Amino acid sequence: MSAALVRAFNAAICLLLLFMPFWMGAIGGYTELATRIVVMGLAAMSLNFLLGFTGVLSFGHAAYFGLGAYGAAMAIKYLGAGTIPAIGLGTVVATVAAMIIGALIVRLRGVYFAMVTIAFGQVFYFIAFRWNALTGGDDGLTGWHRLPIDFGFARLDIFQNDKAFYYFALAIFAICVGAMAKLLDSPFGRSLIAIRENERRARFLGVPIEWHVWFSFVISCLFVSVAGALYALLNNFTDPRALRFDLSGNFVIMAVLGGMRSFWGPLIGAAIFVALQDYVSSHTQNWMSVIGLVFVLVVRFFPRGVLGMLRSGAKA
Amino acid sequence: MARRMSQVVLFNVFNGLIVGAFYALMALGLSLILNLSGVINFAHGGFLALGAYLAYTLIPYIGFWGALILAPPLTAALGLVIEWLLIRPLYGKDPLYSLLLTFGLAYIFEDVTRLIWGAQSVPFQVPAWLMTSLSSQYFFLTGYRVFMMIIVAAAVGGLFAVLKYTRLGMRIRAGTRDLDTVSTLGVNVRVLRSLNFGIGIYMAGLAGVLAAGLLGLSPTIGANLIMPSFVAIIVGGLGSLLGTLLGGLMIGVASGLAAVYFPSATEAVIYVMMGLVLLVRPRGLLGEEGRVH
Amino acid sequence: MTLLQVEGASKRFGNLVAIDNVSLTIEPGELRAIIGPNGAGKTTFFNLVSGLFAPTAGSIRFEGRDVAALAPDERVRRGMSRTFQITEIFPELSVADNIRVAVEVASGYRLRPWLGAGARAAVAARVAELLRLGGLTDKFHVRAGALSHGDQRAAEIMMSLALKPRLLMLDEPTAGMGDQETYDIARLIRRLHRQEGLTIMLIEHDMRVVFNLADRIMVLAEGRVLAEGAPQEIADSERVQAAYLGKAAA
Repeated sequence: MSAALVRAFNAAICLLLLFMPFWMGAIGGYTELATRIVVMGLAAMSLNFLLGFTGVLSFGHAAYFGLGAYGAAMAIKYLGAGTIPAIGLGTVVATVAAMIIGALIVRLRGVYFAMVTIAFGQVFYFIAFRWNALTGGDDGLTGWHRLPIDFGFARLDIFQNDKAFYYFALAIFAICVGAMAKLLDSPFGRSLIAIRENERRARFLGVPIEWHVWFSFVISCLFVSVAGALYALLNNFTDPRALRFDLSGNFVIMAVLGGMRSFWGPLIGAAIFVALQDYVSSHTQNWMSVIGLVFVLVVRFFPRGVLGMLRSGAKA
Repeated sequence: MARRMSQVVLFNVFNGLIVGAFYALMALGLSLILNLSGVINFAHGGFLALGAYLAYTLIPYIGFWGALILAPPLTAALGLVIEWLLIRPLYGKDPLYSLLLTFGLAYIFEDVTRLIWGAQSVPFQVPAWLMTSLSSQYFFLTGYRVFMMIIVAAAVGGLFAVLKYTRLGMRIRAGTRDLDTVSTLGVNVRVLRSLNFGIGIYMAGLAGVLAAGLLGLSPTIGANLIMPSFVAIIVGGLGSLLGTLLGGLMIGVASGLAAVYFPSATEAVIYVMMGLVLLVRPRGLLGEEGRVH
Repeated sequence: MTLLQVEGASKRFGNLVAIDNVSLTIEPGELRAIIGPNGAGKTTFFNLVSGLFAPTAGSIRFEGRDVAALAPDERVRRGMSRTFQITEIFPELSVADNIRVAVEVASGYRLRPWLGAGARAAVAARVAELLRLGGLTDKFHVRAGALSHGDQRAAEIMMSLALKPRLLMLDEPTAGMGDQETYDIARLIRRLHRQEGLTIMLIEHDMRVVFNLADRIMVLAEGRVLAEGAPQEIADSERVQAAYLGKAAA
């Protein structure tokens, strides 16, 4: 794709995001849905940093999403923290967990890495489930909500005002996504792409593969936990489902559906998935079958995803 | 007091062995498919549930024993159809795709079983004489539990016998090591994979029928058992069926013991074991070197 | 100081002895060719030296230091780089990006999230230089996977060169090539040896290339050293001829 086309595409995405609460309403959506798209989009793009750009199959990212969610929620509920410190705490907790778990599993690869990431995710699920007193157990952590942010010179009422929270989430999204973009277009980012392209060749250029995979894993989990924190804030609630492996699977399908090899692909995939899930679950009891069918159809017919197909269409 | 305590411990260890036997039965099927075809069959729990529900549907017509004999092969047949239609095109591709596909299948299975048989638990009729206790001192030694152990032992023994003594088994073992060579020797790899998949699903179906009698039957029965199967494979060692068997039994007993001493950590303890194994011996207890990459 | 010193290296895979008591010494500036019939263990030998697996017995010293315990990427950072029989490059990236990754890693930038303008310019200059050396300047933007066989090889060699290796190991660089491509690669290798002063260890089947380029030749057969010496000695050796002919006749 030519540089001009890339810039145009980026600009288009930015415009769509900037005005989403407004055009969303016109097509039957609502602001909260738009926020959910942004949050899930961030989660899927963060996962894709590891999956699509480093070529490592991780199927347990919900663990860190959930840790971010619980961290932020507990910071607000038990410590009375402000919004930004709450997000910070959630992120720190999840990132530390990722650093430790990453170190344990980084020598594995392929299916085994995937299996282990799934299994580790479940540890946190069970902790959240069982530790009733702290986490609210299966009922989730309630009795708290996001607070308006006081910047000193201005006050952003992200609690009452849906749109204000959307733009707050969008700002955080922009910072994270911008950081990821910068990282990918750097020598470090290129080393990750090299690992994806040909691990053996990367190794024989002198890249210590395990270290780089670990870094990529930690960075990916860091940004996913920010998404988790935002998700908790969005719902004023979090429960163990934010940690469960089916959410991990959803993140992966969002990335694949939108296009794993492109930067914005996972955001597109998240938009489609979230909108679809919202629509289907309000119209039928059997939304699980529909979601399952999405997985099957994407794998069988659209493995390169929306943007992947558009790209080959453009080349032809 | 001590007597009662040791009774409790014994009960939990025995229970743990039984649960472990389940984990092992299910994990063996999963491991078989993983080792030969490189596919993580996330839908394995769904097949387990299907096997259980098929048995439940058949019991009024052909009784428990008929269902026990018929339900697993029926499940395996369905498994073969799915393998042929959906999984075959994915061999040789990035394992991501088979994982996603089976993941989606798991969703569909759970929803469809809910649709057909309802979301509530259903009563699963096991012959009454099996349910009686065999010993007044060890009340937990019910006929059903012992019977289950026998069936699992027979199934596992049968599996290992097939693998060791039949031509099919030999080809599966060879294919697990080097599928390319097996292919150039003239073996039809597609058929081999299908049959292997079928055997794996048979084990899942059988585990389902047995589990329903012990744990009760509801649509989520499969989802609860799939994670421990993963852990059994990781703990026992990648590429080793014996390891998977041992892994399953070990984590079963571990969670049994945890139920006595750390009740709130019963589910988590198997993941702690997994973490320890990964720390100390990443390829698992009986795992083969080089399988990991 | 001797650049590479391998002493009594052996490698067994279960009951199969792939390499048996092979010793070799390479001095700086040398071009050493390793030849032998198929299955002689040449690539296995390369794998031992480059670190894909550890020797069952024997020692490997590079610049006087024992490297047997080092992982492949560490040996690369010490100054050994290699190419593979089946070309290993980054197929979806452009040729320029392939080389750029190598240059960035070699410059110590592999963990850098950002490069200043000066560093970026230096990297770009070095990439351009390597493209020119490999005859790939007009193809810099082409997807590496779409290049011709010979160009892919040249790109791989340039990537290995970017690392400023003190020992360059080439595994059958002319395999599967026609006469013109073979000639081009051979000329490239000669230039690297004579003009850039690189020490090269080369596995080759094409005897024209071997006898044109090599300072010394080592012949492997069935995992053992059959002969070693100057090209003329090897060409005249009856044992060597027998080994090749024997294999051909069998």
